[in-house]
Parts: sequence; structure tokens; C-alpha cells
Amino acid sequence: MRVEYINPFVESAYNVLKEVLNCQVNRGELYLKSTSTPVLGVAALVGLAGDVEGRILFDMSKETAIKVASVMNGEELKELDDLAKATITELANMITAQAVTKLHDLGFKFDLTPPAIFTGDNMEVTTAEVEALIVPMVIPYGKVEINVAIRERL
Amino acid sequence: MKTKMDFPAINDRRPEGLKEDGTPYRVLIVDDSMFVTKQIGQILTSEGFEIAGVASDGQEAIDKYKELYPNVDLVTMDITMPKMDGVTALEKIMEFDKNAKVVMISALGKQDLVKKSLLLGAKNYIVKPLDRKKVLERIVMSLKK
Ligand SMILES: [Mg+2]
Repeated sequence: MRVEYINPFVESAYNVLKEVLNCQVNRGELYLKSTSTPVLGVAALVGLAGDVEGRILFDMSKETAIKVASVMNGEELKELDDLAKATITELANMITAQAVTKLHDLGFKFDLTPPAIFTGDNMEVTTAEVEALIVPMVIPYGKVEINVAIRERL
Repeated sequence: MKTKMDFPAINDRRPEGLKEDGTPYRVLIVDDSMFVTKQIGQILTSEGFEIAGVASDGQEAIDKYKELYPNVDLVTMDITMPKMDGVTALEKIMEFDKNAKVVMISALGKQDLVKKSLLLGAKNYIVKPLDRKKVLERIVMSLKK
């Protein structure tokens, strides 16, 4: 996978998290995971189809998701309820929309699937034949991993 | 933010945000979350409403309401906010203007506070997560009350 695909997502994740949470955001080290990716607890997944195909996963622990949703709503949420899930989905939407605009400007053409949210312990996401590049974004409420597996269509 | 929810409907009816004389309804948005303020703002402006002001706590809401009055048609009022909560702010706004139109914005599980707000004179309430349809429906209904 080419690194240039992940940069727009990292940049826009940085901007959006900083804006909506109004907090310090630190970018962790990029790393590579093989096809089977354990998920931290709450994952919003957006699929891409077109010139490039694959998916982006916004992955965080349940505790982090609840805190992020609480800050975004100005409400203290106690559990990962419908409001919390809708908020994390919207966060994924915001980050993706900004990144995709950049990728379209670079000439890549593709469509997006609406974000789907997955929750649970010991989940794994398998992406056939594409390794995933991951950039952890560290915020005061934990970390959000931007997990991108994209390839050019053959 | 481009979701299909945020696109205004394109047809020849009068947008919900305009009065009969063609001028926009003026809304004061009160919420301690910038995310929610922006969400409500986008939904309303896409229908022609005018955002007359925003406030991020109850005290600021009262000050802004008095400052805008009588050029304010409706208030969206968050319940949970720092300094002064939305129910207290509602009460004070109703004392100042008994015809004020206030719509409460609530998270799930706050039925008691919502009930109290309705007794204090709130016209309606919206439970988060917010969506375009729900927000417009409740606000338009409250303006007609
Ligand atoms: Mg609040």
C-alpha cells in the first residue's frame, strides 16, 4: 500500500479531532499490520470503491469512544448508547469527508460507503491481500487509531 | 461536512426557515458543545433560518436573549451545561418574556428534566442524536404554537 493514501486521513483526523474536542492531539508512529487486525473495542468503518478500493477504520477503546462522544455532545455519557454511537459515526464522517476531498483533488476517483460502527471485544477485521497502515492519534482521552487499507484496483 | 442529510431540498415550496413575509426566523442556539451548535446551525441555515446568536451556558443564554429581544423568534436550549443549566435558563427567559419559544435539546435519560421544562413553558424538546428531520419538525411545530 502506498503511504500517500494515508496522509490525507492523518491530516484530516488531526484537524477534526483538534477542532471538535478542542484539545491537544499528538501523532504517534506509523506502523504496519498484516491482514488480520484486532480492533480496540469500537470501530467506525468506511469503505472505498472506485480507482482505489479498500477501507478506513477509526478504531478506539470503548472508554475513549464514550469520552470523545461526551465531549462532542457536552453531555456526560455513561455508556456506549445510541447517541455515543451516532457521534462516533459522525466523527468518522467528518474526518473522511475532509480526507476524501484531498484525495479527489489529487485525481483519485472513488465512492464511499456510509460509516458502519462495530463494537465488541476481541474483534478482528480481515482485509484480503492488503496490509493496513496505522497511525495512532493520541488525545487526552486515549488514542484513536487511523487504520487504512487501500489499494489501486487491478 | 457532506452528508446527504445536510442538503436542502430543492423545490418551489417556501423554505421552513422563512416567515410569510419572506424574512427569516431568528434562532438563538444554546449549547456548551460546539459540535452540537454547528450541527443545529447547519440544519437551520440550510432551511433559510437565521442564526441570531449562540451561547454556551445558561447565563450567557439569558444575556444574549435580552440583548436580541424582540428580534429573536426561537431558542434551542441544551439541558446539561456548565455554570447554569438549561432548565434554569429557560425559567429566567420565561420570566423575562412569557411568549418566548424555547425548544429543549436533551440527551436520553433526562425525562424528568424534560418534563419539568415543558411545565416551565418550553414549547417542545428534541432528544439527541439530532437529525435534520427531527430538528426541523420540532422547531417548525414550536413556531406555530
Ligand atoms: Mg451540553
